Amino acid sequence: MRLNILIGGKAGQGINKVSEIVSKTLSSYGWFTFNYRDYQSLIRGGHNFNILSISDKWIASHESKVDGIIALDENTSKIHQKELKKDSFVLTEKGFEDLGINLNVALAGALIKILGIEKKFLLDEIKEQFHNSESLEEAEKGYNSQKQKYSLKKLENKMKIINGNEGITQGAINSNMDHYFAYPMTPATEIIHKFATLSEKNNINVVLPENEIAVINMALGANFSGARAMIGTAGGGFDLMTEALSFQGQSEIPLVVYLASRPGPSTGVPTYTSQDDLDVALRAGHGEFPRIVLAPGDPVECTELINQAFYLSEKFNALSLVLSDKHLAESEYSINKPVHNIIKVIESKRKIPQKNGIIKASSYEHDEHGNTIEDSEGIIKGVQRRLKRYEDIKKEVKKFQMIKIHGNKNSKNLIIGWGSTKGAIIDAINSENLDAKFLQVLYIKPLSDEIKEYIEKSKNVILVENNITGQLGRLIREKTGIKIEEKNRILKYDGRPFTSDELKEEIKKRLK
Amino acid sequence: MANTIDSIKQKLGTKETITWCPGCPNFLILESVKRTIAELIEESKGKIKQEDFAMSTGIGCHAKIFDYLDISGIYGLHGRTISFAEGIKLGNEKLNVLAFAGDGDTYAEGMEHFIHAFRHNEDITLIVHDNQSFSLTTGQPTPTTQQGYKSKATPQGEKEKPLNPIKLALAAGGKFIARANARNITQTTEILKKAIKHKGFSYVEIVQDCLIFNKEMDNKDSMMYSVENKDKAKAEKLAEEWDYNSKKGKIPIGIIYEE
Ligand SMILES: Cc1ncc(C[n+]2csc(CCOP(=O)(O)OP(=O)(O)O)c2C)c(N)n1
Ligand code: SF4
Repeated sequence: MRLNILIGGKAGQGINKVSEIVSKTLSSYGWFTFNYRDYQSLIRGGHNFNILSISDKWIASHESKVDGIIALDENTSKIHQKELKKDSFVLTEKGFEDLGINLNVALAGALIKILGIEKKFLLDEIKEQFHNSESLEEAEKGYNSQKQKYSLKKLENKMKIINGNEGITQGAINSNMDHYFAYPMTPATEIIHKFATLSEKNNINVVLPENEIAVINMALGANFSGARAMIGTAGGGFDLMTEALSFQGQSEIPLVVYLASRPGPSTGVPTYTSQDDLDVALRAGHGEFPRIVLAPGDPVECTELINQAFYLSEKFNALSLVLSDKHLAESEYSINKPVHNIIKVIESKRKIPQKNGIIKASSYEHDEHGNTIEDSEGIIKGVQRRLKRYEDIKKEVKKFQMIKIHGNKNSKNLIIGWGSTKGAIIDAINSENLDAKFLQVLYIKPLSDEIKEYIEKSKNVILVENNITGQLGRLIREKTGIKIEEKNRILKYDGRPFTSDELKEEIKKRLK
Repeated sequence: MANTIDSIKQKLGTKETITWCPGCPNFLILESVKRTIAELIEESKGKIKQEDFAMSTGIGCHAKIFDYLDISGIYGLHGRTISFAEGIKLGNEKLNVLAFAGDGDTYAEGMEHFIHAFRHNEDITLIVHDNQSFSLTTGQPTPTTQQGYKSKATPQGEKEKPLNPIKLALAAGGKFIARANARNITQTTEILKKAIKHKGFSYVEIVQDCLIFNKEMDNKDSMMYSVENKDKAKAEKLAEEWDYNSKKGKIPIGIIYEE
């Protein structure tokens, strides 16, 4: 069973609180949720909404047609009327006009009743989140105002709700990161707040320098003298860091970068989503030097891949980029299996100043002491050393899951995708048990050789990406010579993520 | 003592071939820096070692000091030396960190870091080799170049008035602001030692000429006089005394302001 509920209102009215109360209540009731957040780049007013998807089975996406609307303002039901299914419900602020800021609590209570969940689960959650009797009363008032429409049964799943950014934070903590440098930019901003909250307990220094150029250079300076720093940004800030990425290539000071995309070019659409930035992650920075580009597809993978990024950066004095986007970073997922795979980040063999004596790192081509060289033999040595390092990385990453196969493993239909589209693709396949297998690419650089084999073994290859040119598709063509047919590319580039119901129809049209 | 200092200084050098133009004041700055470090090591009676220093540099003639000075460090990027230095300090607060920069480096490419460094107030020392020119790229004007300066890039003469970095540093809330004359090694060494000992961000602007592209500082020794000042109001007056443009008047050298 799966339901989708749209919760809409003006910025500042507390639609996220409704989602939070309801999804946490459902969580303790054993149900899976996925919360998609659609909000504008403004602080008060406008129109924002969430789509809360609810299911008795694991889900990681939302659907385009909804079973109900919770409207905190008049606009919401007008705007979303056409998305309602038959036999759906609309809950408005009517009847709760006098509640003021507690409107969201009452509406959450009302929805819990509609779903047919015992009052106790609601009240426990409210007590957990608020410490006043007023909220409890308003939640109960909301609950009592409705009739039960569904009857969700209590399930025994144990879960927690987290978003991609929290997954990243956890992975960094698992890797003993000690400094986080950043300049605010959606959708990476939230990470600053998360680390700031955790800073005391985990001994993390959160530093907000004057701009992204300072961010990356300070982080490199700190890592040079022995810190384990990470930085985070979105497209525009990443562009400013380009010169320092290249500096990393020459100086070989390890660095982990979290890059969360939004639709570009330029300022683009700040609070919406896209997979526009794969190309720039692969290529930013002049000169030839190794790098690692990883693409988690859900919060658990965020935790695991950030950890692998730290491990590889330390081991190979390398640049690791972990890609996400607004959809993965800020959507809220139910997680029912904890991360079991924490790899210990071993301190690299690289020498640290003071501890190991006098150590020099350089942006010029340099000899083994770090002093500048210009002779051709020396240059050749440097260039070959960097290439060799990439060969070593390629060998090492084989011990990680560079790709994953989901869905029907014997199918001749092969869907290829990466990053935040994972949830919608899997849900699309699962919803009708489609005859398709899904190859999820987690390691974009190095790219797994197995991808070619999978493509060659299948009859029909379908590409799913949240951009207009199919950036992973082009990369696969570059590496394997195989072109995924134009008509088999499902590309979405309206700033919105795929919904699983629409994606399912697109996939079905292309199955053989 | 002189002997010990000389032997420490010896160790601070490297075997790299120095590629500055013969007679370039950067040689003198290198000498002042070596003396400064050597004296600090010597005076500490074993507490401070050569390994306890680290540097970062920008890119330019000034930055070549990286190859000639045997302390840890990052040969950085044009304009970014301050950020690297701040990072090094954050990564290991026990290091004495020196950030070497050019005037183009600091007052053009990396101006944002300069202003914010006073606010961050990390315990590092910024040393600007101000030769009033982008020398390594063959002499284009920088923000501190005098008006009328002719170069391949400005055949009609530089039109803009120079920026006064000392005034800017005061306005940005600087707590240790000094100007040194590259040619005066003894005084520069004294200033640098005080700057390094200062807790928090210290800024030393060293005026030097570039023998090839801008000899503007060549005949100004007679305008220079020594100061050591802790008064903010007076510091503002001192900052105004020379505008990096005039050929007459007074140029205060020394500690313009220490809080
Ligand atoms: C981002 C960037 N832009 C331009 C350059 C080219 N460049 C190299 S040295 C230099 C001028 C340096 O001038 P300054 O900082 O005043 O130092 P000087 O050579 O005078 O000591 C420039 C512009 C560079 N290395 N990096
Ligand atoms: S060009 Fe000027 S600053 Fe550079 S080394 Fe020669 S004299 Fe010195």
